[in-house]
Amino acid sequence: MRRGLGGGLPWAGLLYAAGAAALCLYALFGATPYGLRVLTVAGVYALAAIGFQIVFGLAGALSLAQGAFFGLGAYASGILSSQFGWDFAATLPAALAVPLLVALVVGLPVLRLESHYFALATLGIAQILLLAAVNLPALTGGANGLAGVPGVVLFGRTVPRGLPLAALVWGIVAVGGLLAWRLSVGRWGRALTLVRDDPMVAATLGLDVGRLRLGAFALSALFGGAAGALAVHTQRVVSPEVLEFPVMVTILTVAVVGGRGRVAGAVLGAVLLLHLPEWLRGLERGYLLVYGAALLLTIVLAPHGLTGLVERLLPARARPLPAPRPLPEPAAPHTEPLRVEGLRKAFGGVWAVDGVSLAVPRGAILGLIGPNGSGKTTLINLVSGLERADAGRVLVAGRYATALRADARARLGVARSFQAGALPAAATVLEAVAAARLERSRGVAEAEGQGMAVLHRLGIADHAATLCGGLPAGLRRRVELARALARQPAVLLLDEPAAGLTDAEKRELAAHLRALAGEGLGILLVEHDMGFLLPLATRVVVLDQGRTLYDGPPQGVRQDRRVVAAYLGEGGGA
Amino acid sequence: MTLLQLLVNGVALGAAYALVALGFVLVLNATAAVNFAQGDLVMAGGLLAAALAPHLPVPGILLLPAVMAVMAGLGLAVCAAAYLPLRHRPPVSVFISTIAVGIILQNGATLLSGPEPKSAPPLFGGGTLEIGGLVVAEQSAAIVVVAALLIGAQQWVFARTQFGRRLRATAQDPEMARACGIPVTAMVLATFAIGTACAGAAGLLLANQFFVTPTSGGDLILKAYIAVTLGGWGSVPGAVAGALVIALFEVVVSAVLSYPVALAALYATLLAVLVVRPQGLFGEAARRRA
Repeated sequence: MRRGLGGGLPWAGLLYAAGAAALCLYALFGATPYGLRVLTVAGVYALAAIGFQIVFGLAGALSLAQGAFFGLGAYASGILSSQFGWDFAATLPAALAVPLLVALVVGLPVLRLESHYFALATLGIAQILLLAAVNLPALTGGANGLAGVPGVVLFGRTVPRGLPLAALVWGIVAVGGLLAWRLSVGRWGRALTLVRDDPMVAATLGLDVGRLRLGAFALSALFGGAAGALAVHTQRVVSPEVLEFPVMVTILTVAVVGGRGRVAGAVLGAVLLLHLPEWLRGLERGYLLVYGAALLLTIVLAPHGLTGLVERLLPARARPLPAPRPLPEPAAPHTEPLRVEGLRKAFGGVWAVDGVSLAVPRGAILGLIGPNGSGKTTLINLVSGLERADAGRVLVAGRYATALRADARARLGVARSFQAGALPAAATVLEAVAAARLERSRGVAEAEGQGMAVLHRLGIADHAATLCGGLPAGLRRRVELARALARQPAVLLLDEPAAGLTDAEKRELAAHLRALAGEGLGILLVEHDMGFLLPLATRVVVLDQGRTLYDGPPQGVRQDRRVVAAYLGEGGGA
Repeated sequence: MTLLQLLVNGVALGAAYALVALGFVLVLNATAAVNFAQGDLVMAGGLLAAALAPHLPVPGILLLPAVMAVMAGLGLAVCAAAYLPLRHRPPVSVFISTIAVGIILQNGATLLSGPEPKSAPPLFGGGTLEIGGLVVAEQSAAIVVVAALLIGAQQWVFARTQFGRRLRATAQDPEMARACGIPVTAMVLATFAIGTACAGAAGLLLANQFFVTPTSGGDLILKAYIAVTLGGWGSVPGAVAGALVIALFEVVVSAVLSYPVALAALYATLLAVLVVRPQGLFGEAARRRA
């Protein structure tokens, strides 16, 4: 059930294992001392690129600071060993700690930024560090750097160049790679890809987007720092070169050519690209030109890189679907899952929601209707925390939620669907639904088992292995409902769940919603289709221009003069 | 007087930066993609001017059209290789493909012309003018005038001509523009050509006083980026204003402290702006695309 090195067991996995074995044989029997040195440097870049795969490949943040973390690790270890005679066993932790600290300090503000600003900000950080390295000669040796950096001195004994050093570096790559791979296929990796594909949806599924991104950024800094420390003791000199853009370019090229987000891709890319200049001897310093061309060709022709090609040629066998696992027993439903008091929100001086109060008691289906632009979707956004209210209060299961972010509200018991539909196109139905359990389950296997249980309940287990991208409208709505239900919410916010459904599908949906309400779930239902909504709702609220026009039993809606004028009249009379 | 002198130098530098930022923001608006190669294109323009100069012993002002024409052709090539194949992919793909173009330009330039700094001929002459007691390098004055004319001409094309209206329509909403019968692909190609010609002009202007090496592009793209971020992502006048602010800041701080301090302070200011106002000082002009 577990995926191979990013999806490809057994054949692709076997191929990678064979490649690793061939590399070992080459190192042991075939390589010249110079060849071993190249292999060692390839290991260093593999390590840096593995870290970059986490922040860029999995979390989707184009960090241009990975080269800077590499340089920080190099300077930390280089200075401490050459100036203070520290052992590698002591400089390595320092080379991890310094980049980690920088990542945590700058990551907090910078990770909130949108993609291009994030890339710019991380590049700015890298440039500041480079300027500091060149212009603080007392600490860094200035533009010439510090000579006399020892080799790797481990517990007082120097690790000799050649095979021992290569073995040490690749041993660290193996440990780091395994760790990164375990993380990437586990709960945390799944959560990161969710954050990458749609941070808003990830938040409504209870995932703390900021914390996940910061974690990925910090982890990438650790890998970068370790790689820099190993690099500096291989080169035996530290100079501003380790902070310059070519390091970042090499890491980026290794990751993209190898295959974005894949640990195996980082290793494959590093081995190939670091040997490329050796194979093309005529180029001398022009190797970066080849990197540029390789990067451009890969991004245009093979966006998933070499490992992507391998896995397309040797596709993984279809995984057997997991057996359904029971969801944990839900807490006894609160008597009032949702209460909203005096909620207001303005956009550019216009009140989109203007003093709305409503309550969804246990087991109730509250219908929310109103003309286009009356504030229905804004209200759902305010309740789920995607928008901040200007005034008013939101109580979820009796607890104040007004000051909480979307993910915290989701954990309190709010779940929602989206009007436009927001399923990740490249994920299977099961993966999309299991995503809702990531925050609460112990692992991916448990989350998928519980996801299967929800799919069975809604009668769509047959589609578990289908990709969300190709689903017809009716099925998409059902999958979205399944994902929201998998949260085991106290209150369910549904934004036009019947849009695009056939009459038969609508009847089925209505039956499901009635059953759910029967179990105590509170439902807030935004819908245009009166024939669907009025028989289903226990109470109806009508909004017009952000204000409550009517709040009462569904039978009264059609009789209310103002509602007919504002809303129902549109369809009937005009 | 010293302050006025600095002001003049700052405005001249800012005029050149404005051309860099202008090319960047034009492509940004037309494609919603970041052209990370813009700085390296400026470098390429500067080196091209330096390489042409020995063969065409004419003042820079006569080299300018030739450089801009060649660079416009290069812009078409960049668009065809690094943007058009990726137009339906996530924006980060174009970001990376233009990083690749930048690497190719930078290292191609090193192979072709070596890593030594080169300089381009001045626009008119290398002398100085005295205006009301203020000594102004002829080149500085010429940069301001030429940059202002180029920016003005561009604004005129965009505001007054049918071609400019089509370019603006494409920038505002490519889908709608296509529906209205505008050849969107041709307009995007034209935008790349204009943006790269701007880069070429900036390269020629900068390469006289500041020299140019194959690695000059790195700082320039950051400055263009910063100008556009300060001026409001996507705003053309904002980019020009942002470029002037950056140049003045740089000139004044370098004079008082040092150039590295000026650069570091600039990047630190940028980080602070991003943290406090992620939408730029004057708000975002470009609409977000999913």
